[in-house]
Amino acid sequence: MDRQNHQMESDDGRLDVLFRAYREACPDLEPSADFMPRLWQTIEVRQGVPAVFGRLARNVATAALALSTLLGLAVTISGSRVAQLPAESYVEVLAEEHNSANLDFEPVRLTAPEQ
Amino acid sequence: MLVDYELIRRAREGDGPAFNQLVAAYRKRILGTIARTIGRPEDVEDVGQEVFLRLYYSLDQLRSAEVFEPWLYRLTANAAYDYLRKRRRRMESRMADLSEQQVLLADAIAGEKIDRDEGQKKRIREAVDALLDRVSEEDRVLLMLKEVEGLSLKELGEIYHVKENALKVRLFRARQRVLKAFNAARKQASAVGSAR
Repeated sequence: MDRQNHQMESDDGRLDVLFRAYREACPDLEPSADFMPRLWQTIEVRQGVPAVFGRLARNVATAALALSTLLGLAVTISGSRVAQLPAESYVEVLAEEHNSANLDFEPVRLTAPEQ
Repeated sequence: MLVDYELIRRAREGDGPAFNQLVAAYRKRILGTIARTIGRPEDVEDVGQEVFLRLYYSLDQLRSAEVFEPWLYRLTANAAYDYLRKRRRRMESRMADLSEQQVLLADAIAGEKIDRDEGQKKRIREAVDALLDRVSEEDRVLLMLKEVEGLSLKELGEIYHVKENALKVRLFRARQRVLKAFNAARKQASAVGSAR
């Protein structure tokens, strides 16, 4: 048991030394001169994407509004034209024409054949 | 704290120059932490950019200026973790084991048997990095923050939002896993060595 504990402590110590050596082997890095410009550029690009979509959405909304206004106008105008048409229905007009056409014909007489 | 609370409040309210000052005050420290955590100098700036970008977009969620540093470290730990996870996915198919030389070197470092001159430092970094690649990203980031960055259990508790006792357990287990990986690599290296 003691030997096992000793081994564990020894392993732990070796790992600590390894980490310390690694820390010393890794130098502190100086950020490059374009670190901040690059960062702001990325921020602006990412902010630009929703802005483009926003503009697109606004344009689509404006176009839809214009189209619905035009359609509304068209319906109103065509509605007033409909009002100017004769009030009779198509069947009534047809029946009337049919009556006057019938005047050209002699009524059919049903007579019994002469013997 | 490297800056006063007033500067943090101004940055949180969207003041651009205040945000600039905040980044300027912390970037060196944060880049150092990232460098030690991910072990790839060439990718440090990219991860650093990601940290400060996340900071910019999450500053309005900061409860109070007093918890700014743990908040920033949390963002740093998360960005490092994300990077390591992506890297593991990328490297998985060609993940190399610790080379025999790296094992011998790590062994020698642990036994304090080598000089740490500039030439050796790069090899030390690579050997420890390869060793830490054998444990999970969570273990790696936690161990780096505690053992290399030297953060206290209290500070880690604020970063991870867990109690100190739970952290102690996690740290113990993480250390055990690194040791296990180290010993396995040593056995493997000695088997290869004796086979020659």
